[in-house]
Amino acid sequence: MSNAFRPLCAALLVLCTGFSASAMAHNPMCECKAIDAEQIKCTGGFSDGSSAPGVTLDVIGYDETILLPGKLGADSTLIFKKPAAEFYVLFDAGPGHVVEIDQADIEAP
Amino acid sequence: MSKTTAAPQPSRLNVLWHKWRFHLNILLLLIPLGFMPKYFTNAALIRGDTGLGEHEIGEIQVGPWSLRLAELRDEAPRRDGATGHVKAFNAALCDACIEQVKATYLRIGKPRSLRAAGVIFFGTPYRMGASLPVPEKTQADAELWITMEGWDGAMHQAAIPLSQASPATIAWLNKQGGKP
Repeated sequence: MSNAFRPLCAALLVLCTGFSASAMAHNPMCECKAIDAEQIKCTGGFSDGSSAPGVTLDVIGYDETILLPGKLGADSTLIFKKPAAEFYVLFDAGPGHVVEIDQADIEAP
Repeated sequence: MSKTTAAPQPSRLNVLWHKWRFHLNILLLLIPLGFMPKYFTNAALIRGDTGLGEHEIGEIQVGPWSLRLAELRDEAPRRDGATGHVKAFNAALCDACIEQVKATYLRIGKPRSLRAAGVIFFGTPYRMGASLPVPEKTQADAELWITMEGWDGAMHQAAIPLSQASPATIAWLNKQGGKP
């Protein structure tokens, strides 16, 4: 190897060591807030910083009926009207990659 | 006439450097050796040479199936960005159920449905791993629910006290002061 490449290789090695921890699993995350008395806004994503456009987000009643089936928009958010019945929000990025948010845990505006 | 110039007097720092640089290099080689035992212990834990994890919970019967469950590390949950705190668990399916079980899930509290059964275990059935989110408001008497789904569509569940599964998590929760 030519000597000119040595500093480059050393720098690459340091970078590889420094960023090796970022290969960890990325967990789904979801946050819901009431934007007014009627509407709730949910934002989904993953812990590695990636967004979640098109991922399923269902609003489900306590009796397990799906009140509002939905998908996150291009900005990884979804705004829906607060159902009259008791409900929870399920961010569903696939089996075992879900986040549940109970209505009691949704922040008031 | 000859012209002589005196060599500049080397600085004190320069003298010290030239005197000790060989020893300093030996020291630099020795420092990593101090971290070797910790590195090899950690590597053995990740590879599975020292068992499923630091804290083996034991064999848990889930309907007709069973699995061995262990905490990867006997420590409080670790922070994972905006996801909150997560705790790593490892599990090994019983030999007879490897062919029958399609998926294994873990959750704090009883799942509302199979869809919301919690985090899924991934990896080889002899050593699967899952990162379980632990909400800060989890009660100390909470239960850890294991849901197993078979290829035939069957679903079986079992629960163990969180205090049995992870005493370190309970200690951490008590330290948090039971957030509302």
